[in-house]
Formats: sequence, structure tokens, C-alpha cells
Amino acid sequence: MDTAASLATNEVRFRSLFENSPELILFQDKAGIILDANPAFLALVGETKEQVLNRPFADFLPEAIRPLFDQKLREALTGHAVRFDMYTHPGHSPTRHWDVMKIPLQEHGRVLGVHMVARDITEKTRTQEELAAQNQDLQQFTYIVSHNLRAPLSNALGLVDLLSQETAGSPEFEQTRTFLQHNLHQLDLVLRDMNAILSIRDRPGLAAPEPVALRALAEQVVHSLQDVLAECGGTVQLHIPAELRVPAQRAYLHSIFFNLLSNAIKYRAAQRPLRVVLTATQSAAGGTTLEVADNGSGFDQAQAGGNVFRLYQRFHAQQSGRGVGLYLVKTHVESLGGRIEVASQVDKGTRFTILLPAAPIDPAT
Amino acid sequence: MHTLLIEDDLTATFLTKRLFHHEAVPGELTTFDSPVAALAFIRAQVATHTPPDVILLDLNMPVLNGWDVLAHLEPLQEHLLGHCLVYILTSSLATSDMTRAQAYPLVAGFIHKPLDRHELHAILDRVRAKQVS
Repeated sequence: MDTAASLATNEVRFRSLFENSPELILFQDKAGIILDANPAFLALVGETKEQVLNRPFADFLPEAIRPLFDQKLREALTGHAVRFDMYTHPGHSPTRHWDVMKIPLQEHGRVLGVHMVARDITEKTRTQEELAAQNQDLQQFTYIVSHNLRAPLSNALGLVDLLSQETAGSPEFEQTRTFLQHNLHQLDLVLRDMNAILSIRDRPGLAAPEPVALRALAEQVVHSLQDVLAECGGTVQLHIPAELRVPAQRAYLHSIFFNLLSNAIKYRAAQRPLRVVLTATQSAAGGTTLEVADNGSGFDQAQAGGNVFRLYQRFHAQQSGRGVGLYLVKTHVESLGGRIEVASQVDKGTRFTILLPAAPIDPAT
Repeated sequence: MHTLLIEDDLTATFLTKRLFHHEAVPGELTTFDSPVAALAFIRAQVATHTPPDVILLDLNMPVLNGWDVLAHLEPLQEHLLGHCLVYILTSSLATSDMTRAQAYPLVAGFIHKPLDRHELHAILDRVRAKQVS
């Protein structure tokens, strides 16, 4: 075989790979200077080859991540290929998720430089995250079906069986009948929960986001709970500027306020009148911080771990919570592109903090 | 025979009580809707060498669930094994729960609610067999 010819063929092959690859390929020397850059890289940073060559690669990186790339370069210079992934925006390109490899070029055991290959894995990662979220939904759904739907149903089965054994008209017969009624009602509630949860999940038919006057909405929710509040001697204070507007789906905000306030009432401390403070502030950038703080019975945060917002999780022995409210709140907050945090102390109270972005997620996307 | 029921669902407790009544189960049925109180009771019974013959344990309870109760019973295992049969009682059909339950030496059986008379008599037979041996 003709060595010169095979070398030439190799050269053509590798040049073609370099020129046509959709992945970014750079060759850097030991000091991190760019000695070669492929068209994919040039297109991304929007510069010509002449402008790019002989410049440090660090020029194209945001300051914050330069030390990391420097470190990875030095690792590669020891003769080992390194691989890592990160969110960044080379040059003036938009932020993407990059899978980066640095592969040392060695000759006679000496490292001459480093090839960097970067692949855009933004879409792939996003799909994976969506799949993981959907999987979690499915698992929760299975859990509902296997437990919360089956619990009142198995009770009803047992009760019907029992009815035939109890003497009609006896106190036990009446008790059985009452339990049966209660469990069928419970079964209905679980079905309604499932419907509520599923209808959030498939979004079509939902109203577009509108600027919602938060104070008026909060007043409306407080009003709808006025009877229960009066009954337990509870008060709600609103620290929400009248002019504050949040771009959101009104129904979501309503559900968030309603569920958090209902929870505050349900888990109030027996030994003092309930006080709830609703606070809303808006940053200059338009993001909104909502706070719902109560002086209720609280819960043990260490014991609850990360489970507070999970479906059908209950943390109070005495109360008849179904463990749906906080799950709905979290789902609604996330549908608005926000996030929710909770801080609680046993017998002191609970504070929910919700951060909503300036622009909500478009439900159509 | 002494049976302990740890169950936070009022209906399920009522059902078990009535079933014991109709099937004329001998001895006593003690019910706890609080797993914490139940554990204190079991510890006291173990201390006086009179552990219950059967524990019927619900899985899905707030604060301490059935698995937590099993974890708390583990230190008492040597006093309970051979004397006390623990049955998991659950409305869940999740097979993962059944697999998980098999890992506990204390667990004698896994019962899907509602507990019926056939399952109850199977338990009673095992208690009698244990008492003879």
C-alpha cells in the first residue's frame, strides 16, 4: 500500500469531518490559543477564521466559566481525554447546553495540543427532563389508582359484605350504612382530584395569561372563606399593593391562594387564634414574590423531607387532609413558570414563599 | 389470643372489629389509630413478656407509616419472632409493597383489604399451630 496515498486519503477524510461536522471543533495549543476552528464554531460565534485564529479560546467564554475551561485544558494536557457538560454561550450565541470533550493530541509521548469537540445537547436534555417529569406523573397516577382509589373502594366492599350480617335496624347496621355513605363520598372526591390533576396536565382549553390584580383576587378568596375564618376566630392580613398586577392564568392564582389559606385554617394551632399574613412584592424586573405566613401548628420539616408537595402525602395525624392541596399548589405554581418553597416550625407556624417570573409560560407551547 | 390492630382509617377499624365479632374470635382485639401509641404499647407488652399474638398493620398512615412501624419493631425482633405474627393490611394493589414486605422476617403475611373471614381463619389457624408447637 502506498503510504503517501493513504496519508492523503486520511487527510481528506479527517478534513471533511472537521469541515462538515455540526459539532464545534477547535484545535488549541498548550496555552489555550486557537490554532484551528471549524465552520460550525465560526458560524456560532459569527466571526471569520482570520478573526478567530491565534486568539485565546477564553476570549469566547463568559468570564465566570473561564477557570473551569482552563482547568479542563490542563487536565487534557496531562494526556487524558476529559469530558464535561455545561450551560454556556460562546461568543454572543444564545445559552445552550454543551457536551464538551477535550482530547489531547500526542506525538512520541508529548502532548502538542488539545482538540475540543462540543456538541449541543440542549434539545436532548430537555426531552429527557420532560420524559422524567411525565414518568413521575405516571408513577403518581399509579399510586392514586392503587391506593387512594382502592382504599374507599375496599372499605365499601367490606361494608356491603357486613350489611348482610348485621341485623337490619340495629345500631351496627346503621353505622355500617353511614360508613358506606362516607366511603362512597370519599371515592367520589378522589375521582374529582384525579380530574383536577389531569386537567392541569393536558393544558388545551386553558385561558391565556392576563394581568391579574392580586389584591382583589386575594380579597375574593378571603371572602369565600369568611365563614370558616369567623368560626375559628382567624384573621387574614393583606400586604399587597392595590396596583400590583401579575401576568398569569387567573384560575391558577385563585387555586394557589385558596389551597394555601384552606391549609392554614385546617392546620391552625388550637391554643391561639389563627393569623395569616399575605404579602406580595414585585421586583424592578417584574418578578413577583408571594408569601403566605401563618402562626399555625406547623410541621416537622426534617421528618417531612422533600415530600411536602407530593400527592397524597399527609403530615398531621389528627386532621383529615387528603394530601392533594399542596400538590395542586405546586403544580399550579410550576405551570406559571414559578417555584415554591416552604419553611415551617412545629407549633410556630408555616411560611410558603412563591416566586413568579415576569412573563408566564405560554400554555400553548 | 391477643390481636393488635394499627390502623388510622376509622372504617377499616370498624370493619375489623365487626369481623372479629361475627367470627367469634377468641381473646382480645386492641385497636390503635396512632402508630406511636401502638409502639409504646408493644414495647410495654414485650417488657412484661406478653407480646400480642397477632399485629395487623396498615401501611398508609400519616406521621409514621407501616414501614416506619416495622423499622421501629426491628430492635424488638428477637422478642417477637416466634411469638407474634405481623400481617400487613393494605388497600394498595402495588406489587412493590408486597415484595418489600417479604424482606421483613417479622412479617407473616400480606393481606389486601378488606380482610375477609377466610383470611382471618387462616391467621387463626397459624396462631393455633404456633401455640401447639
